[in-house]
Amino acid sequence: MSATVSHHYSSTGLENRKIAIWAFIGSECMLFVSLISTYLIYKGRSRVGPYPHTPWTDPSTGHVYKAILNIPVTSASTFILLMSSLAMVLALAAVENKGKPQRNLGERILGNSKLWLAMTALLGIGFLGFQAYEFTSFVNEGLTIKTNLFGSTFFTLTGFHGAHVTAGVIWILSMLAIDFKRGLGPSDALNVDIMALYWHFVDVIWVAIFTLVYLIR
Amino acid sequence: MLALALAACAKSYPNSTFTPHSDLGRAIDFLWGRLMFFGTIVFVLVEGALLYVVIRYRRRSEDIMPPQTHGHVVLEIAWTLIPAAILAFIAVPTVRTIFQTQAPAPANSLVIEVYGHQWWWEFRYPQYKFTTANEIYIPKGRTVDLVLRTDDVIHSFWVPQLAGKRDAIANHTNHIWFTPDSDMATTVWNGFCTEYCGDSHGEMHFRVVTVNPDQFASWVTHQQAPGFYAPPAIPATPATPAAASAASPTPATPATPVASPAQLASFILPRADVPNYAIPHTPLPDEVKFDDRLKGDPAAGEKLFVGAGTCNACHTVAGNALAVGMIGPNLTHVGSRIGIAGMMYVNDAPHLSRWIKNARIMKSGVLMPTLGKGQYDPQTKATTSAGLSDQQIADLVAYLQALK
Amino acid sequence: MATTVIDTTPPHLRPFVPSPVPATVEMERSTIWGWLTTTDHKKIGTLYLFTALFFFLVGGTEAEILRAQLGAPNRHLVSAELYNQIFTMHGTTMIFLAIMPLSAAFFNFIIPLQIGARDVAFPRLNAFSYWVFLFGGLFISIPILFGQGPNGGWFGYVPLTTATYSPGLHIDFWVLGLQILGISSLAAGFNFITTIINLRAPGMSLMRMPVFTWMAFVVQFMVVLAFPVITIALFFLLLDRFFGTQFYEVAAGGDPLLWQHLFWIFGHPEVYILILPAFGLVSEVLPTFSKKPLFGYPVMVYSGILIGFLGFGVWAHHMFAVGMGPVADSVFGVTTMLIAIPTGVKIFNWIGTIAQGQFKATSASLFAVGMVALFTIGGISGVMHSSPPADLQQTDSYFVVAHFHYVMFGGSIMGLFAGIYYYFPKFFGRMLDETLGKIHFWLTFIGMNLTFFPMHFSGMLGMPRRVYTYDSGQGWSLFNALSTYGAYLLFIATLFFVYNFIKSKKSGRPAGPNPWGAGTLEWTIPSPPPVYNFAVLPTVTSRYPLWEGKQADIESARINQQAGKTAEQLGIAIPYGTIKPLLAALFLVGMFGGLIVGHWLIFGCAGAMVLSLYAWLTSPLEPELH
Repeated sequence: MSATVSHHYSSTGLENRKIAIWAFIGSECMLFVSLISTYLIYKGRSRVGPYPHTPWTDPSTGHVYKAILNIPVTSASTFILLMSSLAMVLALAAVENKGKPQRNLGERILGNSKLWLAMTALLGIGFLGFQAYEFTSFVNEGLTIKTNLFGSTFFTLTGFHGAHVTAGVIWILSMLAIDFKRGLGPSDALNVDIMALYWHFVDVIWVAIFTLVYLIR
Repeated sequence: MLALALAACAKSYPNSTFTPHSDLGRAIDFLWGRLMFFGTIVFVLVEGALLYVVIRYRRRSEDIMPPQTHGHVVLEIAWTLIPAAILAFIAVPTVRTIFQTQAPAPANSLVIEVYGHQWWWEFRYPQYKFTTANEIYIPKGRTVDLVLRTDDVIHSFWVPQLAGKRDAIANHTNHIWFTPDSDMATTVWNGFCTEYCGDSHGEMHFRVVTVNPDQFASWVTHQQAPGFYAPPAIPATPATPAAASAASPTPATPATPVASPAQLASFILPRADVPNYAIPHTPLPDEVKFDDRLKGDPAAGEKLFVGAGTCNACHTVAGNALAVGMIGPNLTHVGSRIGIAGMMYVNDAPHLSRWIKNARIMKSGVLMPTLGKGQYDPQTKATTSAGLSDQQIADLVAYLQALK
Repeated sequence: MATTVIDTTPPHLRPFVPSPVPATVEMERSTIWGWLTTTDHKKIGTLYLFTALFFFLVGGTEAEILRAQLGAPNRHLVSAELYNQIFTMHGTTMIFLAIMPLSAAFFNFIIPLQIGARDVAFPRLNAFSYWVFLFGGLFISIPILFGQGPNGGWFGYVPLTTATYSPGLHIDFWVLGLQILGISSLAAGFNFITTIINLRAPGMSLMRMPVFTWMAFVVQFMVVLAFPVITIALFFLLLDRFFGTQFYEVAAGGDPLLWQHLFWIFGHPEVYILILPAFGLVSEVLPTFSKKPLFGYPVMVYSGILIGFLGFGVWAHHMFAVGMGPVADSVFGVTTMLIAIPTGVKIFNWIGTIAQGQFKATSASLFAVGMVALFTIGGISGVMHSSPPADLQQTDSYFVVAHFHYVMFGGSIMGLFAGIYYYFPKFFGRMLDETLGKIHFWLTFIGMNLTFFPMHFSGMLGMPRRVYTYDSGQGWSLFNALSTYGAYLLFIATLFFVYNFIKSKKSGRPAGPNPWGAGTLEWTIPSPPPVYNFAVLPTVTSRYPLWEGKQADIESARINQQAGKTAEQLGIAIPYGTIKPLLAALFLVGMFGGLIVGHWLIFGCAGAMVLSLYAWLTSPLEPELH
């Protein structure tokens, strides 16, 4: 080693940001663990309905509230979010392979980072659309964040996740804007990689939420 | 440390945890003794070793280079294993005691339901169907099972001489049980709230009176009776305990209170027998003025209680069909209690009258409204335009003090 | 005071000629703008130091008022309401605004120097952390001046802190303030984890890292794993208070114990977040003043990691009175006892470090030894309430107050003072006055014991915590009077320190690169260090490069100890100063303030923060060098 060792020397050979995003994701895990645990602890402890999986008759009005969660709809939105992760994988590969020869239509499509970034963002927005629909219909059916413990924990948990997806979509769209402005290349791969890590993390968390909140009764 | 700890057992420490008077207290004290024993050994060895190396290996010359040792495997293993062994001697009796003391209480226990309120205690005796406040009597030698609940913030029940703490938490029901020693004195123990519960957490006390079983039975009968105020012929209990002992014609037999034959049958620990530490000494605030020369009329007070005073909106006096309020302490036998306002003030005319006049200056944050006319209410930050005159308050005090 | 400097260089390094101690100290003059825009870890560390010491004095003043009130029974210097605000703020201030940022001052200043780095991994994020901390600290501290201070205790138990039982602004400030401070800690946590993993100089393997950096490393992991939990607990409370959710609403079936579990899952690791940096500092100070490497270095490292792990598994020992049942009580009691083992090992190894060495009593080493002595007492009383039945008598009494002040004051504060005396020369290039320092130590040591030892007795004699006054005749008056006199003595001791600090910073004896003859990397560079820290990135072959280093260590030390060259001359890129992190921090705090002031402020500040973040992320960190 000589005096020419730059400021960007690193002990592990990894980029600083790559390490930081892993630390960040570890921290985020604890955030969601706390939220999900609270949901599970309060499960079945609401004193009034509506309830997630069972109908409830309001004793004072006699009004019957049906079970709130709509599993088929949420299965569809879960599928959309998982597909967005796939699109993100392709987007990252496209950015990493920029400049390599594209021999046929298939390789040209796979190598189009703009396409895959836009696809990821679109699928993310699609998921958010489903969530907006879900929230609105729940409110119409009589469940708000103030109604009962289920409402408070459910909207906070899924809303928190939705906020993460929203932040991710903004991130992806910013990256897409840069791609249109000057084109993304292998030198940007780290930035896309970090974004992809975040996006996959958000997806994995959703799988946990979907399983624990929606599927397990 | 030990010497001081032993000194602490002396009589001048009325709330000492070192002199337990129950089975639970002694179980804890046994663990404490073991912890203290090992703690003292570790303390002496570690501090001794530290002092020794600092003095023995002090720098005498700047030129000496000490041997550059990096560690010693055997030593390091030793001082990992020895503390582990010591901890085993603590852990085993600890776990045993946990399971012993947290088992369900024996079937014939005296059940007392304890409700923590900001900032006073409500006590219900479900087996005997009466309710009292801030003061319980328990018979020696009989297990008492305390059922702890609250509807507001978290409180914690602690009588240092009898038992450890247990929290009262909303949406939870907690238990703590213990058996007061059969051979202990008929006397009063101080109790405290030990979970921070807002403005007047520091003034949320109570008293536990340990009595003989026959005295307890008599006290229960009395508590079950409706509240009544005595006819004027019976002399009222003197205002202060000091005056009580001075005025008492027969100080040799303080266990026999001066009272009507009906009251004689009902045991209440005489004021003269209440130890000094159990009598609240909180001074009267200067801001609340009251003419202590006023003589009150208990009959007028009773009318005020359910009338202009609106006391019955919050307070119950059993036997008075109009006084069934559930918000404040049950006042059926308030005249017999040692203190008022969560044992913040001694229960006598000067304190009670000022309390009724302006409770919110007397004790921070209380729900009890400011009842005196023209009084400044620190919570609403306004001066009351309506309210009770000093004479009306004196009448109320006369009535309440008569509710023995 | 001897003015001649003794050559403490170990014999085998004698050919290595240390730089002469300069006759005067050239502190780089910085404008106010320079401080506001700095991205230099040393300047940010200095800002943390000054701010934390300021808040330490604030928290200390609060403590003096509490003790004055409790000096005699039935004393009413302050009302119950004000007393409750003061004790809440005393705890909050000391934990979040004094001890944590004092540790942060050392993290910032020392870690890059100890691992041979030119800065932290993200210099601008580092500035952001500081400004968020400062604004958050002011946010939570100022309300008490207007009688609106937080009043729910530093632990903020629900339902007392819900809108039902605490209407008004008091708790709002606390919830939002802690949320803000959490962001600062988390940002710093990511930054230091990355710094320590990735910016270690060539040869600085993990097992060669100085123990202070190791303990800081463990602390940062605890921060990033524990703070999210309190963030969520506070977020629930925030939603309850501002948006009407039901998390802690008893009437809706909410469970007050949810808060307690979440709070202590954060709160107990927090205790180790507060104490481990002090452990690290003592592990630097004792070897230096014993002229001997740390005894059992690997065990010191592993025990620190083990404490960090176990720290996440003992939280419910704060809740033995809540009625968790015998199984939970037993489990948490035993895990708590287990923590005593690695902690005990540390104490024995410190003693082993001094043994057979050449112990020199300086202010720094006295504070370090004092820390070991007093922390031991706190540790023993800690084991005493690890036994749940015994704890039923101790918890929420003054015995607990005594215990954690032996840990927090006797442990953390004494250790941090050792660090201040030890590293002051590195911060400011001058020595603190040793005579004043020793007076400070002895007054603190005596005052500390006089204040807190009697509390063991007031507690076991039945005195509950957090009471604004107590009645006469309870057997507590004497012990409380002693505690109050001890607190007054601590006040006097602190005056000596403040005077020494101000005087020595201006006119203390110049220090030179290595005034203590220490062995680690930070002592191979001038004091105060140049902006680039190391002219050449050092090569490390041992734990104490200046004591045990080989040719390569000595070569780089020889170059690095020379002052005078600029970054430009050496061709080192230095990050630009920038105001953007401060602006982002300001708008972030403004967003939280909007919940109290009005929703227009939330949106205004959110927009402004996005703009400043955008400007921050699109501007280059440092000049391109060719």
